[in-house]
Amino acid sequence: MPSNSNSSPSSSSSDNDDRNPNSNPDPSPNPKPNVKPVSIDQSLDAIENQLASISMSSRSPTATVDDEEEVGEEEGQPVEQLKITNGSLSEEIGEEGVTDSIEDEHIASSSMAESSGVIKESPPFVWRNNLEAHEVERPLSPSSSGYAGEMGSTSGGDEIIDDDEDGNEIREVGNDGVLGSHEQRISGKRHRDEDDASVSWRKRKKHFFILSHSGKPIYSRYGDEHKLAGFSATLQAIISFVENGRDRVKLVRAGKHQVVFLVKGPIYLVCISCTEEPYESLRGQLELLYGQMILILTKSVNRCFEKNPKFDMTSLLGGTDAVFSSLIHSFSWNPATFLHAYSCLPLAYATRQAAGAILHDIAGSGILFALLMCKHKVISLVGAQKASLHPDDILLLSNFIMSSESFRTSESFSPICLPRFNPMAFLYAYVHYFDMDTYLVLLTTSSDAFYHLKDSRIRIESVLLKSNVLSEVQRSLVDGGMHIEDLPVDPISRAGTVSSHLGQPRAATDFPGRLGDAFVGIGGPAGLWHFIYRSISLDQYVSSEFSSPINSLKQQKRLYRAYQRLYASMHDGNGPHKTQFRRDENYVLLCWVTQDFELYAAFDPLADKALAIKVCNRVCQWVKDVENEIFLLGASPFSW
Amino acid sequence: MGLKSENGASEAIKLCVFDLRRGQTEGQELDKILFFYPADLPLSAQLSVIGLSEGLITFTRIFSPEAPCEVIEAEVHSHVFYEAEPDIWMVMVVEKDKESEAIWRIDALRKVLEEVHSLFVMFHGSIRTLVDKEPTGGLVRTHLYYFIMDFLSAFEKRSPLEYCCWDFSIGKKLQLPNFRESLKERGTIQMLTVGREAAIEVQSLVRVLESCAGNTQCYSLTMFQDLLVSSNLSPIDAVRLFTYAVLRLTPLALSSGVSSWSSSRKGNTACNTSAGAVLANSGLVVDQYYNSPDASALGSRSYPVVRPLQHAKWSKGKDGFLVTDIWGADVNNLVCTSPTIWLNQTEEKMYLLAYQHRGLTMMLLIPVSSVNGEQGIAMVKQQILENASLKMFKVEEKLSRGWGGENAYHVSGYRYLLMDGDRYISRASPPGKVTTLTKESLIAFCKLREEVDSEKSRAKWDNSGCEKDLELSIRAKNNAWLIARLTRGKELYMVLEKANETLLYASDAVEKFSERYCNGVFSLD
Repeated sequence: MPSNSNSSPSSSSSDNDDRNPNSNPDPSPNPKPNVKPVSIDQSLDAIENQLASISMSSRSPTATVDDEEEVGEEEGQPVEQLKITNGSLSEEIGEEGVTDSIEDEHIASSSMAESSGVIKESPPFVWRNNLEAHEVERPLSPSSSGYAGEMGSTSGGDEIIDDDEDGNEIREVGNDGVLGSHEQRISGKRHRDEDDASVSWRKRKKHFFILSHSGKPIYSRYGDEHKLAGFSATLQAIISFVENGRDRVKLVRAGKHQVVFLVKGPIYLVCISCTEEPYESLRGQLELLYGQMILILTKSVNRCFEKNPKFDMTSLLGGTDAVFSSLIHSFSWNPATFLHAYSCLPLAYATRQAAGAILHDIAGSGILFALLMCKHKVISLVGAQKASLHPDDILLLSNFIMSSESFRTSESFSPICLPRFNPMAFLYAYVHYFDMDTYLVLLTTSSDAFYHLKDSRIRIESVLLKSNVLSEVQRSLVDGGMHIEDLPVDPISRAGTVSSHLGQPRAATDFPGRLGDAFVGIGGPAGLWHFIYRSISLDQYVSSEFSSPINSLKQQKRLYRAYQRLYASMHDGNGPHKTQFRRDENYVLLCWVTQDFELYAAFDPLADKALAIKVCNRVCQWVKDVENEIFLLGASPFSW
Repeated sequence: MGLKSENGASEAIKLCVFDLRRGQTEGQELDKILFFYPADLPLSAQLSVIGLSEGLITFTRIFSPEAPCEVIEAEVHSHVFYEAEPDIWMVMVVEKDKESEAIWRIDALRKVLEEVHSLFVMFHGSIRTLVDKEPTGGLVRTHLYYFIMDFLSAFEKRSPLEYCCWDFSIGKKLQLPNFRESLKERGTIQMLTVGREAAIEVQSLVRVLESCAGNTQCYSLTMFQDLLVSSNLSPIDAVRLFTYAVLRLTPLALSSGVSSWSSSRKGNTACNTSAGAVLANSGLVVDQYYNSPDASALGSRSYPVVRPLQHAKWSKGKDGFLVTDIWGADVNNLVCTSPTIWLNQTEEKMYLLAYQHRGLTMMLLIPVSSVNGEQGIAMVKQQILENASLKMFKVEEKLSRGWGGENAYHVSGYRYLLMDGDRYISRASPPGKVTTLTKESLIAFCKLREEVDSEKSRAKWDNSGCEKDLELSIRAKNNAWLIARLTRGKELYMVLEKANETLLYASDAVEKFSERYCNGVFSLD
């Protein structure tokens, strides 16, 4: 029966309240961000401070988006670009580059710099002491911000979207083949008033916790971390109890609930869920959550724990709630989270070529990776020689950028770490939005490359405008991707007539209502409802648009979960298996894994087996016919 | 992973029974433990197993009050939980080892716990009753100790040269049902298929047999070899008695008992083994108990313990009735006390009379309350010999003529398991045929069953009463087809190694099987 009967009137009403932007919990900073144990040397304090500044603390509610965006200079206006001075501090940071970003010496010096009161003059990379304290005291002005791209700052104007688990649905259907794609609207923490004593908290369908090995809470999806200290200590006790028996706890199952544990050095991650997702999926989600944390802090944070096991990390992640919320939300709509592949925005081959060519031109000149993205989909990406970008890094990076409101409003330059690329080091990301959905990310190892990257961006922008790439992107957003209704009856007969949109003549105006639930497709042949095709060599996947009867968000999420289970079942540790046919009360699911691709298809539960197999073959042929448009070819991140 | 336990074989399996209502105050935690295997594990280690278990039961109740902890999966160990009775928990800890045979299906392990508990209840009544009867816990501990140790001996990995003893603590390795037994279902009955004519004869025999007990309401269970022919017991009671019969009463069980057990152990240990001496190595709990002031009176009685699972204690008497001194005997050791069991359905204590002629074993259950002790039993036996024995000979002859031997239910080309969950009945490919499957197929199939298990339990929590309908066919990496079909409470599992590669071919094979052997239950159209 329906696996997503998760809606309860009470919880949805409370979520409605939360949608009020003003209910965004007061992100008041930790009053005592850096408690310094006497025994710890100064450099460690400096690390804490540095990490605190890296993580960007929460802002006072008076902060506006503009306030948060711009960096730096006393005279800086909100729209002014950040200016990098050649201060010795930024030099040092730059030199560290890829190898290691949190070096004690430079931290020490930075803390000295700060204590000597250079804050206001400091260059964009201001490693300030006691960031929060300062923030609270001073009225925010454009110059008060430490650096650009305040990570995960929660601005008051964000619409809070319902989380996916407590009976609410994803707000909108994306027209791009994935479940509602407005994750960027998700704001920070919800239900902060709850703790483990609250009935509502206990009934949440999916909890995520990050804690330190000493049991200190670092992050909790619901409730205030500090109020959950006792609960966090319990989790730590369970983990260490099992460790004492020379073992490592992975999973506890109780009725519909699963408690999944992941230990990453001094960081413990725990998920408590009754969402019926397989263990492997939940574990993968914890891995991504950890990756997201590394993206913000790098793995060097471990050293803080080496020096002080009781180190309190919450302050380092202050203000990043939105990033984690949005990632957790994506676990219930974005197939990339379990497929470990990325998806591309469908575009005419020539258009994507044009975008790729200009990225290619600028890449190499100190740029490690250049990505042109539309929401979570790749338009084009280019890496410097031999550098490769893992799909999980793309996922985490785009989640980080889209969930941080500050990136949206003007160009930013911000340190980030790509956990699969090098978990120990910061890279520097230049981010610029060309429009609401389309943004450019240029990654470099050099901390003072801002102006260079800005120039590159200007070059890219002019080419994109000239070659109409940006308008084509908008057009693709409206048109969507592969519609199962368009599945060619006979692939060969139309081979020569590939028209403008994925093999089928289609005007954007055909489906004016596609953005909402209103769009009703007629379904595909033989009861085909939906499919996902993953190209193994390209590390990319394409997912068909939703069609009747997978109209409602609830149905889409249920299908997503079914795919997730199918994926886990096919890759069960002994596999991958070759074929799977599964019929239950909701669907017929067919999965076909070869060396080249994986196909996941959903049919009407009454679908005829033989016909369904034929249709799957046609889908594969169709994908191959239009692969020029739906995939980024010849630019596989692993094939450089 | 470097997490391997260092203690080797003896630590590979732990099994404990504990009562959460006991030992509530600090320092009294030992009192919770009712049984622990291995008994020679240091008490601190025993307490840590119980502590973790209790901790996680409490923890999971925060989120899942109606269904607390069922399993802990760790890198090296699986902890399988079973709440046998309210607040009485059984926990089994097994070590995993991907390299060897130690790959488990959790539900199969839990079925072992369910089985030992249900058999215990059949012979001794509920654990709670025993705890309440004698609050110091000595009584229940003694009973559990003998019963579970005797039970576990069935899982001992025996080498031919080894004379078994039931002291598990000496480096013996227990072998629990692993992935190789995925085409089996514990806790179900295997039936003999009989023709119409034979069925009628069996029914008339059963009627005669039951009439021998006079007018009292009695029950019977008839078996041929290790297969059930007929029974009028409730399904739960039938499964329990059937399980016991296969373990200890059928011709096969009787013969294996004799061959693998040292005759020197055949002394009458049932009643007079000092529980204290035996339990001494289970540690302080018992010592504590025996040192307590009021222990002397009880201690001298040493808790008369009936050990129904003791090996090689049953034999076939000259008159054809199966006899045992498990339940004791009179002074001259000439007449053994008749065995009794508790029925789950009627909560009545019944005498168990078992008669065997070649492959045929007939069990008659007569309420203790309606028979005049051993004398009455002797009279019933006499009646049976006079009125039914000839008929039994005939039926046995008929059944054995129609029986195809141990491979009777082999279906060429198929390796299957067929289950009727409502009636606790299953049929499977003979074990000898299942062994022809490759390890890869069996491990992958074990995984598939785990997946189906979780689907089933999910369906159970989601919508009570609505049975899961599922069709699942996987072509594994090694090209074997792994198939599961669930419909209307019936389940069909298959491993097809020599099947064609197309899905349609595999479906067709299932269809044919369903039509031919399952009355089309699993056919789709």
